[in-house]
Amino acid sequence: MGFLRFLGFTVVRAGQGFWRNKMMSLAATATVILMLVLLSGLVIVLGGLNSGLAYIESKVGVTARLVDGLAPEAVDQLVAEVSALPGVASVEYVSPEEAMRRLEQAYADRGQTLETGGSDISLYASIEVALTDPAAATSVSAALGERPEIERITTIQEQYDKLLGVTNVVRLAGLSAMILVGLTVVFMIVNTIRIAVFSRSREIEIMRLVGASDAFIRWPFIMEGMLCGLLGAVFTVLLVALVWGPIQPLLIEIFQMPTAVGAQFFTFVAVLILSVGLVVGMLGSWISVRAHLAAGV
Amino acid sequence: MTDGRSVTKARPAAASLIGDEPLIRLVDVTVTYPNGKEALINVDLEIRRGDFIFLVGPSGAGKSTLIRLLIREQVATTGRVYLAGRDLARVSRSQVHRLRRRIGVVFQDFRLLPNKTVRENVAFALEVTGAPLDEIRRRVPRLLALVGLEDQARQLPAQLSGGEQQRAAIARALVHDPAILIADEPTGNLDPVTGWEIVQLLLEINALGTTLVVATHNQEIVTALRRRVVALEQGRMVRDEVGAAYRRG
Repeated sequence: MGFLRFLGFTVVRAGQGFWRNKMMSLAATATVILMLVLLSGLVIVLGGLNSGLAYIESKVGVTARLVDGLAPEAVDQLVAEVSALPGVASVEYVSPEEAMRRLEQAYADRGQTLETGGSDISLYASIEVALTDPAAATSVSAALGERPEIERITTIQEQYDKLLGVTNVVRLAGLSAMILVGLTVVFMIVNTIRIAVFSRSREIEIMRLVGASDAFIRWPFIMEGMLCGLLGAVFTVLLVALVWGPIQPLLIEIFQMPTAVGAQFFTFVAVLILSVGLVVGMLGSWISVRAHLAAGV
Repeated sequence: MTDGRSVTKARPAAASLIGDEPLIRLVDVTVTYPNGKEALINVDLEIRRGDFIFLVGPSGAGKSTLIRLLIREQVATTGRVYLAGRDLARVSRSQVHRLRRRIGVVFQDFRLLPNKTVRENVAFALEVTGAPLDEIRRRVPRLLALVGLEDQARQLPAQLSGGEQQRAAIARALVHDPAILIADEPTGNLDPVTGWEIVQLLLEINALGTTLVVATHNQEIVTALRRRVVALEQGRMVRDEVGAAYRRG
């Protein structure tokens, strides 16, 4: 009961404080929105890049096209020897028939039919080498290159490295921008609450004199900062929800990966926005209250 | 009379009937501010339950510092301040609010919240200490009746006279039924007639058992009432006399 009274008092006072100091409160809320919109954008872009990375990582391996007419025994021997190389997880022989089946399947997945124009086409046989570690691609490629059964080697290591580089740059730039904007937001909230504290200094003085505990004095201000953060977060979540549908095709177009844009990912982004909004609001007001309500002795 | 050694000691009379332990005891208290100024110098003082004390002295004599010590807004640089036997320097910051509920304070400028009615101003002091709603509903009208403000309960401070505002401030100071009420220049902003009315109210509150410490420059009231007078000058206690008149050092 006591706690409920305290909570009720704190929430009501925080709401009153927000409203009385509305220009500053709204300005602080707007900066929270700016920060959270940036954060959402960053998380969505990083989500896309990461799922792209994860996809490529799963595919990083070495594909080796075999010379025509290789005897089944020679294939078996090649598979056995390549499997024994360090860094190799598994080796799969893909026959020309299997390669054709996969091609047809790929077409079918896109809702198309493979048209060969009536001619009988034949694909190359190959081996697909899966690696235990993407870093082993170079040494495995080199070993395969020396074998006469192998005509050509392809890897997607280069693509992976490029994407990893882009992801790292985005991460770094995004995090730096987030830290800068985050500090600005905390600063804005510190100032908003500072003004609130000053404008209610008479009230605070009376509260102290009549024996209000520190919690009763401080928490309404902290709650007020959290209110700025929460309102900003709710607004941002609504904004993201609004654009979530329209940006889906764009994201799939850019990243070629549907994994980053599912409903589960939206929930993650929404929870992240709400948590960051609340924490930033609380942090800003806590700093302000600590600095300005450090009561006498 | 500016020498601390020439202090006339108080007669530990009426209050001693109630109990031996003083409600407030200052033992060799000195307060030195960071700039080196000594606001109080070697002050010894005992206030017993039920006492009515006038604290007098010119501006800068140390009255406000003494009040700040009593409400634990400040601690003594040296010496000890006890409230009901409890050393105030040992009261942790997290416990100061409990202590302050035992001490009511009123000021010359009333310090009412201008956007709250009289009733709300008094209730506020209970709300911020987490008092239950039914207690607030029960206590506030009683306190307003005690100070004679039942009819003004719904008015804002700006709609009240100075005397009425001071009554509202007194009602607020009494919400926790404090053992002691400290009034810092309670008549300073009031005309003489209204000032007397406030003093009458303070006497009634004292008669109900609350200890009163009234800091004042009002010679007429101090001299007329002949209560215990504690005089400070330049930080030293120069007089502590029962039944005394106001006297300039």
